[in-house]
Amino acid sequence: MTIRTLLMTAVAALSLAAVTAVAADYPEAPIIYDKPVQGVIFSHKVHVEKGLACDMCHNRIFEQQAKKSQQNKDFVMESLYQGKYCGTCHNGSLAFASNTRCATCHIGVKGAKRAQGGDKAEHGEHH
Amino acid sequence: MNKHIDFDKLQNEGVENVSNQERRDFLKMGLAITGIFAGGTIFSAISTFNQAQASDFAKKYPYNPHYSMVMQQHRCIDCERCVVACNETNHVPKVHGAYRTTILEKETADALGGKREFIPVLCNQCNLPQCTRVCPTKATYKDQTTGIVLMNIKKCIGCLTCQEGCPYNARYFNEEKKAVDKCNFCWDTRLSKGEKDTACAHACPADVRVFGDLSKQDDRVFKIVHQIERPVWVLRPEAGTRPNVFYTKG
Repeated sequence: MTIRTLLMTAVAALSLAAVTAVAADYPEAPIIYDKPVQGVIFSHKVHVEKGLACDMCHNRIFEQQAKKSQQNKDFVMESLYQGKYCGTCHNGSLAFASNTRCATCHIGVKGAKRAQGGDKAEHGEHH
Repeated sequence: MNKHIDFDKLQNEGVENVSNQERRDFLKMGLAITGIFAGGTIFSAISTFNQAQASDFAKKYPYNPHYSMVMQQHRCIDCERCVVACNETNHVPKVHGAYRTTILEKETADALGGKREFIPVLCNQCNLPQCTRVCPTKATYKDQTTGIVLMNIKKCIGCLTCQEGCPYNARYFNEEKKAVDKCNFCWDTRLSKGEKDTACAHACPADVRVFGDLSKQDDRVFKIVHQIERPVWVLRPEAGTRPNVFYTKG
């Protein structure tokens, strides 16, 4: 084996390792809250792809259990404005402020149906 | 004084021949007339202005109370608590297409947030309703006290012409009542029983639906509809029905 082939194999092996390392296991499917209001979406994919590590949120802010936060009575917008839950970052400086771009997360009952049921939920619904 | 004046033979006496006293008398007469007119409005400019306004809107809002709703559309997140509350309060059947109020969705980059906006719709309690005009049995009518378009279900024959005529798709045929049904601002279920708002307005967590009385100047609906900072509109004004439900953003 030449040095060249050796180097190329090393590069290939490292790349493979890197790719498999990034594909960490987080829930790929979006989480859709239904309390206190229906149709609020959270996508792990969107946040992880921005470079957030698991412990950035799952240290103190959120439990590692889907929709656990909505069992809290204070899971309301006012708490976000005070820096709790999503408001820890969504305050206007780290990420968009939680009192802007409402429809990004508030997809509503219709959005939730689409996300869960696929296109067949929408078919025939036209008012 | 029946002096015969032969106008053809009259000579122009010339302005220089009119005495100053005559001129003064003439001007005073004119001033007296205009002075009374002008003086009246100048000295009481504020109160007459208000009076003009009051009489204007008394004609525009003839009902007492003149129930109306304004939607702060940018705040709607399609949680549909209003729909649930309405269905429960007014016993709307759980059938596809049966609704007294619903939320429309519009994908538009114009929305705050740049994705989509949600638009709550319900019966607009129009001032010139198309539905009441086409009803063959007078089963639906505009109540003369409150302005709400009401149903007398005993007279409804289910011809559905009103449903066809409504530009807002507000009516549906209720199989349980065997009559057409639609939003009536919760008149029979809430307002006539002393409640101050409709079930949907009560249930909305985001202050989208503001329900009130346009005949009162200090009412919140009146203020929002008459302010000039943000645009206020109605749905389908080209239908000519003069709706009582308004929409605003921002």
